[in-house]
Amino acid sequence: MMNFMWENLFRKDKNNRTITAKLRENILFQDLSPLEIKMVENIIHVRNYRTGEVIFKQGEMGVGMYIVAKGIVNIYVEEVEAASADSHSALITQLVEDDFLGDLALVENNGRRSATAIANEECTLIGFFKPDLIEITKRSPSTGVKVLMRLGEVLGARLRETTGKITELKKELRK
Amino acid sequence: MSPALAKSIRRERLIKLIYFLGLVLGLLLSIVLISNMLVSMLLAFVTFYMLSPLVDWIEGRGLSRVTATSIPFLVLSLVVVILSVAVSPKILGQIQSIQENSQKYIDVVVHGLQEIESKLNLTLHNIYPVDIRGQVEPFLISWAAANFKKLPEILSQSVTVMVMAPFLAFYMLLDGRDIIRKILGFVPNHLFELTLNLNDQIGGQLGGFIRARLIETFFISLLTVVGLMIIDFPYALILGTFAGIMHIIPYVGPFIAAVPAILISVANEGGMNGLIGLAIVFSVVLFIDNWILVPFLVAKIVDLHAVTVVVVVIAGAQVAGVLGMIISIPLVSVFKVSFLAIYQHLIDFRD
Repeated sequence: MMNFMWENLFRKDKNNRTITAKLRENILFQDLSPLEIKMVENIIHVRNYRTGEVIFKQGEMGVGMYIVAKGIVNIYVEEVEAASADSHSALITQLVEDDFLGDLALVENNGRRSATAIANEECTLIGFFKPDLIEITKRSPSTGVKVLMRLGEVLGARLRETTGKITELKKELRK
Repeated sequence: MSPALAKSIRRERLIKLIYFLGLVLGLLLSIVLISNMLVSMLLAFVTFYMLSPLVDWIEGRGLSRVTATSIPFLVLSLVVVILSVAVSPKILGQIQSIQENSQKYIDVVVHGLQEIESKLNLTLHNIYPVDIRGQVEPFLISWAAANFKKLPEILSQSVTVMVMAPFLAFYMLLDGRDIIRKILGFVPNHLFELTLNLNDQIGGQLGGFIRARLIETFFISLLTVVGLMIIDFPYALILGTFAGIMHIIPYVGPFIAAVPAILISVANEGGMNGLIGLAIVFSVVLFIDNWILVPFLVAKIVDLHAVTVVVVVIAGAQVAGVLGMIISIPLVSVFKVSFLAIYQHLIDFRD
């Protein structure tokens, strides 16, 4: 059920690009000029993960988002069975290069991660966090507005998807 | 995940953590151990936090980081040069005058103590002989020697600090974030978000605290200087600056700020009128501080308990004398802010 929440609506199928190119092609940064991209590049954090390494856990406080620059990331959700009250992790989706995750944490205050992200293979992720977003808005308000407008678009699209799914589920329940 | 892979990840995390902690510890040790570095770094941090919003604002207007950092430094240098030309001869003259008259002021203190001592001995009928003068006089003479006669040495250290602090502050503003980002690169993945957020929170609170204290110090100094000038009191510039700095120490600071002025007034035989004038000036300043400045800035100033302040000031004085007294409170405030931020963060971060 959570699957659609984690699906990348803006997925692109290209490989082996530099961090700059990956940033430029991400929806959040696609309106930025080369100079602005350069500034963002000096603010973001490139992190490497080993196979099976946890990126973040469900329930932890989230500080920002990650763009998958290389590798595959598995997204799991802890599901509790109503009958036995036992819980188990269910794989809900796999994120590949250029997908991004955790974007809601950029706007939430002390928000918790709604799923667990684990590297399925050796991964390189681009971390973009709330303090980084605040730094951009301070240092270059116009750049910050461009990023925030795109972030609004992403969150809006996710909300629209969620609303659509809820409507569908309601219809199914009525049947 | 296989046990071998899990072990390998744990090993990598440990190595990264050791490197990160080693780097932070090395930086801290170099600050403490290298001569003049601690004071230079403290001043650089103060300058960094003071100018950082301005630099960000200028950069936000479309200028490069180098230009945005250089402009406030050029303006600040210009202000320092103008002040040096206009005010420093007066301040140096006042310091020289205090230095020349230091024996007179010590004599006043010793004489006062002598009177208290004789009155106490008279009251106690010499059952328990009191010798305050014998105890305090050598201390006062050595203190005066340390602070006035060693003035050239203190000044030469000050010159080193005055050159190093702006240099460090400039590069902190220019490349500070990049350096922090590189240091954060050593943090293991499972602690990365926590460390990044913690760094941001501590930086934010520290910036607010330092800016609030600077504003408070500036206004207290200005008000005291103006007040002392109105009552035509000597050494207004020095005593005003001293009062502003002393107000950094909560509770006891405002009273310490008044002590030199009272001594000078007594030594110059200013009489009761002089003391009343001083009482009015320092009371008005204290009133403005407590009722206008502190409530206005209170959210930014770390609240320390009175007992903590006294203990910290005594410890600071024992470790590094007058300088220790002044910097102990900001240092403890920094530790308190960091400690609370880390505690809150550890509570909040994990499920």
